[in-house]
Amino acid sequence: MSNTSNLRVAVIGGGPGGYAAAFLAADLGMKVTLIDPEANPGGVCLYRGCIPSKALLHVAKLLEEAEQAKNWGIEFGEPKIDLNKLRGWKESIVKKLTGGLGQLSKQRAVQFVQGKAAFVNSTTLKITKTAAGGEENLTFDRIIIATGSRPTVVPSLKLDSPRLMDSTGALDLPDIPKTLLVIGGGYIGLELGSVYATLGAKVTCVEMMPGLLPGADRDLVLPLHKRLEKLFSAILLNTTVKSLKDEKTGIRVTLEGPAVKEKEQVQMFDRVLMSVGRRPNSEIPGLDQTKVKVNQKGFIEINEQRQTADPTIYAIGDVAGEPMLAHKAMHEGRTAVEAIAGHKVAFEPNAIPAVVFTDPEIAWAGLTETQAKEQGREITVAKFPWAASGRAITLDRPEGLTKLLIDPKTERVLGVGIVGAGAGELIAEGVLAIEMCALAADVGMTIHPHPTLSETMMESAEIFYGQATDIYRPKR
Amino acid sequence: MDLWRELAAPQTGLKSAKDKERMATEFKLPELGENIESGDLVRLMIKPGASISEGEPVMELETDKAVVEVPSSVTGTIGEVRVKEGDKLRVGQVIFTVENGTGTGAAPASKTAAQPRAVPAVPAKPAPAAAPQPERRATPTASEATASEFKLPELGENIDSGDLVRLMISPGATVSEGQPIMELETDKAVVEVPSSVSGVVREIKVKEGQKVKVGEVIFTLEGGVAAVEPARRHEPVEHISGQQAARLAFQLAMRAEGKTEEQALPPDRPQAATPAFSMPVQLGKVAGTDRDPVPAAPHVRRLAREIGVDIRSAQGSGPGGRISEDDVKLCAKNTLAAAAQTPRGTFAEPELPDFAKWGKTERVSMRGVRRKTAEHLRQAWNTIPHVTQQDRADITELEQLRARFAPRAEEAGGKMTVTAIALKVCASALKVFPQFNASIDMGKEEIIYKQYIGIGVAVDTDRGLLVPVIRDVDKKNIVELAAEMTQLSKKARDRKLTPEEMEGGTFTITNLGGIGGTGFSPIVNHPEVAILGLSRSRMEPEWVNNKFEPRLILPLSLSYDHRLIDGADAARFLRWIAEAFEQPFLLSVQG
Repeated sequence: MSNTSNLRVAVIGGGPGGYAAAFLAADLGMKVTLIDPEANPGGVCLYRGCIPSKALLHVAKLLEEAEQAKNWGIEFGEPKIDLNKLRGWKESIVKKLTGGLGQLSKQRAVQFVQGKAAFVNSTTLKITKTAAGGEENLTFDRIIIATGSRPTVVPSLKLDSPRLMDSTGALDLPDIPKTLLVIGGGYIGLELGSVYATLGAKVTCVEMMPGLLPGADRDLVLPLHKRLEKLFSAILLNTTVKSLKDEKTGIRVTLEGPAVKEKEQVQMFDRVLMSVGRRPNSEIPGLDQTKVKVNQKGFIEINEQRQTADPTIYAIGDVAGEPMLAHKAMHEGRTAVEAIAGHKVAFEPNAIPAVVFTDPEIAWAGLTETQAKEQGREITVAKFPWAASGRAITLDRPEGLTKLLIDPKTERVLGVGIVGAGAGELIAEGVLAIEMCALAADVGMTIHPHPTLSETMMESAEIFYGQATDIYRPKR
Repeated sequence: MDLWRELAAPQTGLKSAKDKERMATEFKLPELGENIESGDLVRLMIKPGASISEGEPVMELETDKAVVEVPSSVTGTIGEVRVKEGDKLRVGQVIFTVENGTGTGAAPASKTAAQPRAVPAVPAKPAPAAAPQPERRATPTASEATASEFKLPELGENIDSGDLVRLMISPGATVSEGQPIMELETDKAVVEVPSSVSGVVREIKVKEGQKVKVGEVIFTLEGGVAAVEPARRHEPVEHISGQQAARLAFQLAMRAEGKTEEQALPPDRPQAATPAFSMPVQLGKVAGTDRDPVPAAPHVRRLAREIGVDIRSAQGSGPGGRISEDDVKLCAKNTLAAAAQTPRGTFAEPELPDFAKWGKTERVSMRGVRRKTAEHLRQAWNTIPHVTQQDRADITELEQLRARFAPRAEEAGGKMTVTAIALKVCASALKVFPQFNASIDMGKEEIIYKQYIGIGVAVDTDRGLLVPVIRDVDKKNIVELAAEMTQLSKKARDRKLTPEEMEGGTFTITNLGGIGGTGFSPIVNHPEVAILGLSRSRMEPEWVNNKFEPRLILPLSLSYDHRLIDGADAARFLRWIAEAFEQPFLLSVQG
């Protein structure tokens, strides 16, 4: 444990997992090289993912609320959208944050190399410096792969047209198309679809599966679905896109599915957003010179310490498996570094929160009802509808729901699901409850500030005991 | 961060010599640990006029880091108590005064007293080992005031010593089984060592700061009662030693679970510095959705990992089965207590030199077959007075017969080997010489003659020596024996032997002829009393009919238990075997 200082560690990829790992390694006294093609650390998350999308979603929410304010006696004029300024604001955020990470790297004496890395062997990397120029072979004691993921393209729908965007292209905000087709009803499609819809585009969303956000509990998705039905011009479930054809006036799309009316089978769209998932960036040059194993889905195989089949190489984040979430990558990065430092650690969270930043937001952690059903596991679900929350009423957002999934025998909180405004912030308490193995009673007996949405957690727990203050639901 | 260490690490706060002179007139709050200067008194456990002895808890103090129990460093009658519950106490503050304070000065005690202890760990739960105590006291041996002693029990794999950081007993104090008596810092963790004996402590043979080795005497007892040998449950007719009992228990347990030895006792894995690679658990599972999430907070899970406790084996004492830090420590302690109860040999291994002085070394865990073999053979060697008798057999004729009948054995799926023939020869010899087919019961002073013949054959596998047993050898012909032998050897090499297939032997054959050698002295496979070793057969000049003839000679080595078998008997027995090899006809006449 003591001789870890002076360990030379390379981190390939400067996303949240990569920089979290690099910074901790530096804090533990290791000599760290962080390699990323961008000018500063940040990765997809900061440059073209979580952060810019959140900036745009904030704008979307503002527009929505301004519209809703009519109901409360406040009326604004029609919004004027200066796309260049909006884009500039978004880019300034990205710049600020990534620049900050560059600063943090310098302060920690992390050697940040703008470039690309290829494996020569298990301990040597050939680093091509894209900015400074030149090539260099460097040897390390440990290498952490944090190369992340990229948007998936359906091969049959490949189209060389600027009208076809992936999430990166959509975040560039080239224009506001009159009509937009979103392929894929997952969180990326719904988040970006919402942005474009509030900015004025007519959005059609197609999803292959029978519901939006496959994997999430249906009762959480329902309020979002209802709202999106108003915001979008159409949501087509059980529907597949048969073909895309680039034409002068747009992309001609052929749809197929029981929900598609005959007239609508072929439609024209100004732009198409393909958001059908992400795939791991495991095609690293020279990886075959190591003992690292990549599975059929393209994920690098790792153990509990995030170590690959090659003992000197670790892998974290999207490239190392689902769920592809920044916060999971960051925790993995820290676990990997601690393992390298010789600590007895393992990546063993009891809950990894998932958040969909639509309006309303959906967030869950730990066990879901869907999973409980699949496992045949007995649980008690305590639901608190936000219609009974004072705070939700003042926000005019009563459609929310907070629920706890509780083990009826031990009364432990095994899962938390929330839909509603600010659910992403509220879920943190649920994650803590699960990790600390809180009982429903612990949550119920913790004083929550009034009037806030956080009370819905407490009241859900009280419902479990049939004693909620703001709702009458006696215990059966 | 590392609370475990913090709680138990030795404190170096030594008081000045001036303090030392003041003999136990007052008790001051000792140092509680780094950066802890004060604490809130949450529970006072003493009263004026009460007597107190060193080590007895005085109070519970809540510091920034934990609630700790503060033990007294003085002995005597409490005069005045100068603090009350709810007070904030500073280090060095007088807690109470003592009247008739005995020799225990305040100064040396400061070291002991400075060991804060997480409160609920010990007093809340007696170690399970303490439960059967009353029964044990009732055993007749209890009345005999024999001074017993307590030795440091085994602490776990690869741990052979530890630094004594805190002693929790003093001469004259009463200890009972399961009671913690000291804290020992090993490479892996600070552990509390429970007593396995009950009685009054007479003399303590170790002191704080000292390195204590497994097997070293910690203290002696007055009128002590050593913990009664455990596990009398499956006591067979034969006398069994502790080792044998352990092996038996192990085999029984394996059989109960329907496992082969391979499954029950995974083979050695090299202990790499980095954890072994395993296939990733699906991340959905890691996220706590598939397997049950452990009911322990993240820092508790980390603590368990650090001190090597499987968190899933810890019993959660909290609501909903929540596992606390103390539960993890208790689990570690119970594991230790269990380890202390498993019988072990009385011979402490001599200390090893520091090999690193002469060059690089690598330490590999000796788990699995290797360790079992080591234990079993040491025990056999220690128990049995061995003698090895050498002889040689002319197998020229036999070799021709062997070659002739080989196809027949092959048809039956076996190989007509010298070992297969030796099985038949030995079975016949054992019938003629029944004392070679016996065991000794020294406890009952009896010899057990077995009316069945099971012969073990030592098989060399890549994970060590295994001895499958062929049952009822006397009732099978050589072709059958050859087939069975081939089958069992294959199973042994494929790691598919079941425990049953390695039991019930009355005699053992070990054949090193395939490798070479002219003779060796095998170790008797206890509780058997003899073993036959075969070496490489060679063409040698033999004096036959007044001239040298080339003859095929098989060297035989018979090791036997001299307690039961006399040298002359052994010579006769081996001669009989040699002659049987030379004249296979004997088998059909006498065998």
